Amino acid sequence: MRPLPKLGVGLAFQAPLRPLIERAGEDLDFLEVVPDIVWTDLGPGKSPRYVDDDAALEFLGRMQRSHPLVPHSIGLSVGSAHHFERDHVRQMRSWWERFPFPWHSDHLAYHLAEHQGQVMNVGITVPLARDREVLDLLIPRIDEVLQSIPVPFLLENNVYYFDIPDAEMDEPTFFNALCDESGCGLLLDLHNTYTNARNHGWDSLAFLSRLNLEHVGEIHVAGGMELDGTYLDAHSGPVPGPVWDLLEWTLPRCPNVGGVVFELFGSWFDTVGEQRVREDLRRMKDIWAATQGAASNAAVTA
Amino acid sequence: MSLDSFQSCLARLIADPDYRDRVRAAGEAAIDSGLTERECARLRTIARDKGVDVNRTLHKGFRLGKLRAMLPLTCHLLGTKRLALHVAAFWKNHPPSSFYFIPEALEFCDFLERRRLRVKYLAEVMAYERANLEIEKARTDAPLPQRVLFQHDPRVLLAALANGQRPRAVARRPSLAIGGRDDRGRIHWQLIEGMENDAVTAPA
Repeated sequence: MRPLPKLGVGLAFQAPLRPLIERAGEDLDFLEVVPDIVWTDLGPGKSPRYVDDDAALEFLGRMQRSHPLVPHSIGLSVGSAHHFERDHVRQMRSWWERFPFPWHSDHLAYHLAEHQGQVMNVGITVPLARDREVLDLLIPRIDEVLQSIPVPFLLENNVYYFDIPDAEMDEPTFFNALCDESGCGLLLDLHNTYTNARNHGWDSLAFLSRLNLEHVGEIHVAGGMELDGTYLDAHSGPVPGPVWDLLEWTLPRCPNVGGVVFELFGSWFDTVGEQRVREDLRRMKDIWAATQGAASNAAVTA
Repeated sequence: MSLDSFQSCLARLIADPDYRDRVRAAGEAAIDSGLTERECARLRTIARDKGVDVNRTLHKGFRLGKLRAMLPLTCHLLGTKRLALHVAAFWKNHPPSSFYFIPEALEFCDFLERRRLRVKYLAEVMAYERANLEIEKARTDAPLPQRVLFQHDPRVLLAALANGQRPRAVARRPSLAIGGRDDRGRIHWQLIEGMENDAVTAPA
């Protein structure tokens, strides 16, 4: 993957975080947005299918003057064998024309499946089997995305609470092959890695050391919580210590990375508090500066 | 085709606990035909994995969150316990067939109506939120005006619910609310109360 512009440290947009975002100043270099939350999807066959939330777009347009926007969508369901959401790709293309973002991303998973002749939405990212058959499904779809939207496209390593057994490949092999063969990059979610390692009893660093980190275009960090013996990727708190350790190990080894993003669900903002969010953003900036140099917002109008 | 079927079965394991129980108990016999031996074995193993429970919880949270977002006043009026009861009954026979959540919310309204619940104010509050969804659904067309007949003062009733309070002893004051979109595309309600003609804004 070609090097991405070095944007620096970002925050995932959630409406309750707006006041913090508006006065974040130098604590924030760019803004990540789940575009699907600022449009209404009226479903296949509707024209237009996607209806914008004008107020949110006005806010994002204003923010874009000072902070580059990077979309991280949830609607592609790139691994669905049932069908491929080409309308979603076209919608992302129209977003790129409106907000010329330097890269974009989605999730390496599926949430749409066929059920009794209809499309069923599980509402969560369901893991994919790490088999050749799935790579062969993904690669032409990623090519379609890259042809349609001429900026790098990243897929995020999934959090999974059960694994699909008898896989043909382990995770690093699967991710490396996917990026090598498709041309997409990896959005490396370190909190997902930590969550999976903790729940399934493997070693995060052993996993990371087998990944080709040249494919990493963006990194996510977040906090979570324990529920009934399972640690959840709940985006419910500050970045925990082990994830900081992973970030400090990983970031200097990612030559092409464009940014590190903190994810926090808006409903937890009051609990975590603005001060703690800012502290985490500053710590991320310190690690970024020490390993990647100065951040640049040159991509605002790229 | 086989991968498509496998993904459908996997999604059902998460969303449909009865199906999961059948796969656990009956193994192959409960799994749709057309899957490979490896896919069947995978499903049998996953059906026993406690991670499916976690996914089921997250799936329910997602689905319930959507209903609460679409029908906030109705859900608040029902209260947590009653809502959980009716949602569970609704989901039993309504798989998440749509990811465009307005249809699911409208189906939930139909379901609640059929149950003829004796919950004060429910009929009119639900009719009002349902009308808002109908206008929202017709967002790109010119929506037909929506008419909601209130038996109780909607300004007091809806404001209380929108503020997270349970409405108590709302004055009986029949009125007709007519909803549509204004020039800027926002949902707008007009209240006709006797000879009075008053504009009200839909609570966010």
